[in-house]
Amino acid sequence: MKKKVLSALLCTAMVATLAAGCGSSGGDSKDGEAAKSDDSGKKTYAIVTKAAGNPYNEKEAEGFQEVIEAEGGECIVKHPEAATADAQVSVIQSLISQGVDSIAIAANDENALQAALEEAMDAGIKVSCLDSKVNADSRMTFVNQAGTKEIGQALMDAVLDITGGEGQWAILSATSQAANQNAWIEAMKEVMTDEKYSKLELVEVAYGDDEPQKSTDQTLALLQKYPDLKLICAPTTVGINAAAKVLQDEGSDVKLTGLGLPSEMAEYIGDDDAHSCPYMYLWNPIDVGRLGAYTSIALVNGDITGAEGETFTAGDMGEYTITDAGDGGTEIILGPPFKFEPSNIDEWKDVY
Amino acid sequence: MAGKSGRSISNVPEKAIRKNILSWEGMLVVVFILMVIFCRSISPNFHLENVLREMPKYLAEAFIMLPMAYVLILGEIDISVGATVCLSATMTCMACNKELPFIAVVLVCLLVGTACGLINGLVLTNFTELPPMIVTLATQIIFRGIAEISLGSGGSVSLTNTDGFRMIAGKVGIIPYIFFLVVILAVIFAVVLAKTTFGRSVYAIGSNRLAAYYAGIPVQRIRLIIYTALGFMSGLAALFLTSVLYGANTTTGNGFEMDAIAMAVFGGISTAGGKGRLAGGIISAFVIIMLRIGLGQINMNPQLILVILGALLILAVLLPNIAGELKVKKKAANTK
Repeated sequence: MKKKVLSALLCTAMVATLAAGCGSSGGDSKDGEAAKSDDSGKKTYAIVTKAAGNPYNEKEAEGFQEVIEAEGGECIVKHPEAATADAQVSVIQSLISQGVDSIAIAANDENALQAALEEAMDAGIKVSCLDSKVNADSRMTFVNQAGTKEIGQALMDAVLDITGGEGQWAILSATSQAANQNAWIEAMKEVMTDEKYSKLELVEVAYGDDEPQKSTDQTLALLQKYPDLKLICAPTTVGINAAAKVLQDEGSDVKLTGLGLPSEMAEYIGDDDAHSCPYMYLWNPIDVGRLGAYTSIALVNGDITGAEGETFTAGDMGEYTITDAGDGGTEIILGPPFKFEPSNIDEWKDVY
Repeated sequence: MAGKSGRSISNVPEKAIRKNILSWEGMLVVVFILMVIFCRSISPNFHLENVLREMPKYLAEAFIMLPMAYVLILGEIDISVGATVCLSATMTCMACNKELPFIAVVLVCLLVGTACGLINGLVLTNFTELPPMIVTLATQIIFRGIAEISLGSGGSVSLTNTDGFRMIAGKVGIIPYIFFLVVILAVIFAVVLAKTTFGRSVYAIGSNRLAAYYAGIPVQRIRLIIYTALGFMSGLAALFLTSVLYGANTTTGNGFEMDAIAMAVFGGISTAGGKGRLAGGIISAFVIIMLRIGLGQINMNPQLILVILGALLILAVLLPNIAGELKVKKKAANTK
């Protein structure tokens, strides 16, 4: 009997704490309007990465943070617990609670963040995405590092050039649902329908999930499955790095191209047989982050709303115009991808 | 036999530990209160409205914890629930995109979950010599494999019509529906475990399966029911997760099994079977949810949050053991 009374008491205490403890400032927040985390008038800009430890995303966050702080704003860099949409939902929810002014996100899934991001926009938060987009309903605009078509074209021309115009090749991607990866692969397939590429045979699209170990395993599997393979194209920084190491360690004849970080890839880039990667592409992730920051600031200041045709000035990066993204939403394109080759890799490898 | 003695209820240290666990729930309530005060002090945004708004995604895991507690008390484990959630969510989205009426979509979700649980149960009760860890590891791979095949090369499916799921994600005032459902189901699961013959049988099986069998308890039937219930609840979790994600992909439900087990173990439910009460699991679920929301709001590194949760878990397992051992030593000293 005593025990029952005690447990009833404890339960009441628990509920009371929850209501009193968390409820005491509940009055601050008006309906649907998130409570502002500070009253000083300093705006808060958040950037959400795909996962902690993704070097490309970290460079973007660095550029983002640099601009925000230079412009006098407060910057929050948030990494999800894992590289999944589930984990990013928790992060977005938490940012809504904190009452941030803007969220810029590199999405792990194009559609799965819609409910959370809609809620954020309902709470008055300016939502944009960068690097990997969310669907048109979940964003105000998208900071695109390079046009999908331009990347598909550049990569396919690299494949054509390095293979000598014919033979088997494979793609090593990140996760099977990464929106940017899939868009680029689609674009490459589109380019490949041209007569010029007809002697190239795409044998497989492998998924290394952007994990070094899994990417390594997938590369080894490709080498084993296709003895006549001439080239692997990895449009992901983690994948290309893992594949480069495998190919060079194995002394394989298979060549590599794709999208990679210069600092990680420097030792693998070269024209001779000792190097696995003749050349590769990327854009400057720091600039992606910086453009993302200027976009967030312009959205928060009300200079732009994310509608097609609007223009704004991104600091020293110059003037940008918002264009139609072809998915019902809008985008801002940073520029064409940049080619890293033996002649320029040394100057870039220390930059990022 | 060393293996058996771990499950028996007759030796001395066992009693000391049990006594300790009786007050474990009380301690957890104190921990919960301290946690709320702590989170309130570190984050100005940690108030009822925000906490309730952030909660639904985490509460989906609490659904799974309830039957998982039964499985642990049986002295068994099921690591396939994350995959079950993934498969149910995938099928649900596909059914919804086929424009079935919403009630049919809900049925698909619960049926797929239940079927997964039933498969686990049937395998485990028909081949009783197989260890649950291995069987559910295998079904985990199979369920996730089927989900990945269904998802195709894109690896994800999203809802074309979200109306039904928006309804599920609704709220009464500021309290989301899922909160009420978790509370109601928690009470049902707790009462069944503590107050019914079925519940007592679960403890009996977990303490000593052979003895339970000879005492006339329908061991295999009870195991089948529990694994099926776990599948059903995983389906329910998938339904609510879908209402948060508006879709499913190959990573949906990743790690749910371990989170559910962690909640139960932190609540004082022993993985060796036969011990623990559901109240502990429920309170600890809320402790963990509060911690995650609170630390998330101060933008703590999420990996660090995981480290803290892991450390708490070890502490939770160690404490009763240390306390138990101390008492045994004291007793031994006294009898000398």
